[in-house]
Amino acid sequence: MTAVTRRNVLRAAFTAAVVTGTGAALAPIVLADSTDGTATDAAGSEHPAGHFDEIYRGRRIQGGPVDGTQHGGAHGAHGAQPAAYRAAAASSAPSAPSGPGIQVSIDGRPLHVMRRADGSYLSLVNHYESFPTPLAVARAAVDTIGTAQLSTASLHHH
Amino acid sequence: MAVRKNQASLTATEKRNFVNAVLELKRTGVYDGFVKTHNEFIMSDSDNGDRVGHRSPSFLPWHRRFLIQFETELQKVDKSVTLPYWDWTVDRTTNSGIWGADFLGGNGRSRDSQVMDGPFAYSTGKWNINVNVDNRPYLQRELGAAGALPTRAQVDAVLAMTTYDMAPWNSGSDGFRNNLEGWRGQGRIHNNVHVWIGGQMATGVSPNDPAFWLHHANIDRLWAEWQKMHPSSGYLPTGGTPNVVDLNDTMRPWNNVTPADMLDHTKFYTYDR
Repeated sequence: MTAVTRRNVLRAAFTAAVVTGTGAALAPIVLADSTDGTATDAAGSEHPAGHFDEIYRGRRIQGGPVDGTQHGGAHGAHGAQPAAYRAAAASSAPSAPSGPGIQVSIDGRPLHVMRRADGSYLSLVNHYESFPTPLAVARAAVDTIGTAQLSTASLHHH
Repeated sequence: MAVRKNQASLTATEKRNFVNAVLELKRTGVYDGFVKTHNEFIMSDSDNGDRVGHRSPSFLPWHRRFLIQFETELQKVDKSVTLPYWDWTVDRTTNSGIWGADFLGGNGRSRDSQVMDGPFAYSTGKWNINVNVDNRPYLQRELGAAGALPTRAQVDAVLAMTTYDMAPWNSGSDGFRNNLEGWRGQGRIHNNVHVWIGGQMATGVSPNDPAFWLHHANIDRLWAEWQKMHPSSGYLPTGGTPNVVDLNDTMRPWNNVTPADMLDHTKFYTYDR
């Protein structure tokens, strides 16, 4: 894990970000991969139900499984969905799986996360390595973007 | 016939011509179209759904076609230009010529990973990151901060694999393609190079870094090397596979080219070795 250590040195240079919008609605992004039904089991320490909501390096990271019925833009328990989510959900609908997916956000902005066939996860900002849980992929994304804000624009290009 | 050369053997003029052609594609907006296309595929290719550009047998022919399209655009600017390749089993340090200020520029600074020298530094005003995963408009690299460049021994072990690809034809597969792509196996070949460079190269918008083309030209060259070593091993699968591009299926986004069309690179270019 020397890589983690070396990246941590860089991370230490990031100043704490201002935490914004604690009341912001969770902005989920539907997992593009389908799953084999073990999504919540893979969440490990994020139990119960695989959900997490924490401040990590000054950023609010939230996430957890999303019901398959949310594919196509149906609303779940998280209230109003941001436009970026609706666009992503609608555009991914043709190939959306019927099973449960995963949603992750950083300071309310959706992070595109995929689940691999082996049960691990990767995100758009760390797309060539994978992580054991949704929480791990969210933390890794914060490590990567530092104090930057996730872009929602790229989600519209499906 | 265009010859793709090892970046380490390029002359100063060849480096300058390549850089200038890339900058011209950036200026006209053609370049960002390639970034966008790659990002679209990386977001939609999934292990248990449709998969074309990545984590699937067509990873290699898809990127071969993608690179040919990019090289063709470069040649519209300067017909002398071909894509160089970067053999990261040989040129493996942050001091290698590929990272020189006369070519791709060097590592990002520690504070924000921003590349500060070379033709693609933000300060030049010619290389704004427009298709991005976050709101940082500058090219970033963290050379060697994570991942590891594959060794020649690791590459040789993958080249020795006789079967092109195997069911379930995704990131869980055994066989040459997935071990070269790096979702499994010693060295995690292609994936680990992305991670080693860091910055945009570790993300879905990896073509924002011109190193993308030199990395993938090397992966493409290794595919050609594998074909030479295993002349009786063909592309798999050859038909009737759900969500997967079979040998004679057309590939998105072009819809007029198949893996079969891409098997012989000498129709389009050769490598210097």
